[in-house]
Amino acid sequence: MKKRLLVGLLVLGLVCVLAPAAYSADTTVKYAHWNALSEEYNYVKAFEEKYPDIKIEFTLIPEAEYSQKLTTMVMAGTAPDVMCLWECDISRFANGGFVDPLDDYVSESETLTLDDFIPAVQDLIEMQGKLYGLPWCFATEVMYYNKDAFDKAGIPYPDENWTWEDFENAAKKLTVVENGKVEQWGCDALGFQGLWYSLIGTFGDDIVNDKGQFSIGEGAKEFLNWWYRLTNEEKVVAPPQISTSGIISTDLFVAGKAAMAFNGSWMVSVYRDIENFKWDIAPIPKGVRQYSTLHTGFFTINSASKVKDAAWKFIEFCMSEEGQELINKAANNPSARISILEKGYYRVQGPMGPENWDAIDKTAQFAQWGYVLLPSGLTFDIVKDFNAAILGQMGIDEVVGKAIDRAKEILGEEGVASE
Amino acid sequence: MAFKKESIVPYLYLLPWVIGFILFTGGPIIAAIFISFTKWDLLSPPVWVGLANFTNMFRAGSEFWGILKVTLIFMVFSVIITMCWSLFTALLLNQKVRGTGVFSFFYFAPAVVPLISLTFVFQLMFSKELGIVNYLLSLTGIEGPNWLMDSRLVLWVVTVLCIYTYFTGQMMLIFDSALKEVPKELYEAAEIDGANAVDKFFKITIPAISPIFFFNLVTGTINSLNTSFALIYPLTGGGPGKATQVMSLDIYVNAFKNFRMGYASAEAVILFAITAALSLLQFRLAKKWVYYEA
Repeated sequence: MKKRLLVGLLVLGLVCVLAPAAYSADTTVKYAHWNALSEEYNYVKAFEEKYPDIKIEFTLIPEAEYSQKLTTMVMAGTAPDVMCLWECDISRFANGGFVDPLDDYVSESETLTLDDFIPAVQDLIEMQGKLYGLPWCFATEVMYYNKDAFDKAGIPYPDENWTWEDFENAAKKLTVVENGKVEQWGCDALGFQGLWYSLIGTFGDDIVNDKGQFSIGEGAKEFLNWWYRLTNEEKVVAPPQISTSGIISTDLFVAGKAAMAFNGSWMVSVYRDIENFKWDIAPIPKGVRQYSTLHTGFFTINSASKVKDAAWKFIEFCMSEEGQELINKAANNPSARISILEKGYYRVQGPMGPENWDAIDKTAQFAQWGYVLLPSGLTFDIVKDFNAAILGQMGIDEVVGKAIDRAKEILGEEGVASE
Repeated sequence: MAFKKESIVPYLYLLPWVIGFILFTGGPIIAAIFISFTKWDLLSPPVWVGLANFTNMFRAGSEFWGILKVTLIFMVFSVIITMCWSLFTALLLNQKVRGTGVFSFFYFAPAVVPLISLTFVFQLMFSKELGIVNYLLSLTGIEGPNWLMDSRLVLWVVTVLCIYTYFTGQMMLIFDSALKEVPKELYEAAEIDGANAVDKFFKITIPAISPIFFFNLVTGTINSLNTSFALIYPLTGGGPGKATQVMSLDIYVNAFKNFRMGYASAEAVILFAITAALSLLQFRLAKKWVYYEA
């Protein structure tokens, strides 16, 4: 009798514990990203407050393994409902049928229209056939310059009309040599790998053409020869420094030893801490055309998701003004929606700069996805060869030829534009 | 004939480890061998291509030959340098001086610092413009080279920096304990017979620790082939060009950055074959110089 009473109580307790869980009609949307959620600008929390019956289960996947982890999760069927995909992954996932097109969602949305996005988004739709992802914010690549060094040399500041000729003349005037040693370089070496492709793009190469094929050739050769001359003969550009996946440990610009530098727009949040000299940003100088590279992550809906409507609600919120304000402030990156970009939520000033925030807006008008659509192993490998060419360890024609061969091997013949 | 049934209990104790080994190590190894005969980008289904990956790897003009050369040079010299260094520091720690505990701590300290932070610091130290190594050289009037970007120097710099890895620290500790095991009577007897320090080292110390020396040699070789990745990837990324691209790094890049699982698995199979062949060779040669106490 006593034993039965005990069992009965246990079962009752179990029912009491489990009952509320059965009654909660909360939908859970799983979401993955590589950045931790900011305390101050927590867009996930803001969404949950607006839609109390949808819970977001956030997973932080470290940047170093982000691409691999998502790929394995998608194969195992455990991938999140909303995935913020990198540019090099979105094509593969779309082709494999792992993410749903968003065209219908966007056309029915009251807050979003396709016209409001930066031009590159339309290019991607044309390349992939449908809209598979919305950019969470974006970063691009710009030129940084030391205002004090320019004042000292008596050169007017760079603007969006600068050509490479203006750049070369300025670099020569800005290089300061004392006792045979260079105290100040006109320009730092290219550290982050994207800059190589951006600068080659200004010399006319497509990098990635509208069929999605890798395409470099004469533009790359011309650029590399010119950069080689500036580094080794004119000695106004610093020789290449070692960097781990684009993170430079020795930044000559920050150290005040280079008057100009090319880097990603996100470096604004790092250079903000500069105290010794005034600095600013400008778009990358013009070659035969203006070119820069866009970096982003795309909000996508997992095809295998069971809560697609809730997932879309979350994406829509993140792309709305409210969500974008939080995201832009948290990541210091501008919005891909032009109307919000103009409001400038991402602009967090430092004591010494920048002031010319327009440089980013202007760059967004002509910047393209370019190399980020290709596998990162290939593009990083090619940059290692570019560095070897500038160091005089490999011939320039050889490097460009090898890059095309390697691309053919990794992407297949159809992945490379025919010359 | 008396027949006693063997107890299966010992085998049951081994079972958890065996299951884990089959699931997490043995199984994946067999799978990798199968994958090496396919072309697979992780998202679409694998496509059987037979020996195509291997013929591609070994064709004339393939980048693989350069990578193989870098891997073998790196392996030979890093094993020599790390073994000499760890034996040297272990010998120092066995001298009859005070404070060997303190020295022991400092010699082992780099081994426990995460390799990523170490490589970042090395990048700073060896920077051509801002690094302390070139600064110290400039005080003596020498203009320091671009240590990590000069394709003639970078492989040697990376090889020498292996002495700061965890594995070298571990080798030092193992040598340290092995040296303490050498019977002191042997040294005393040798001194009576008039042996000097060099004789004592080569005729007593080395033979006495030869089993441990052999152990460190084999594990050191395997380690330099497989785990050198952890040092090289953050330090140089395999560059400049392919000057420091060892096979373990190339496998990672091909598999996860270029999405060529088939090719990467083929490389892994070749690496396994090389490691196995080298270990076999070392075991064969060991019979000549390893002295096990009877």
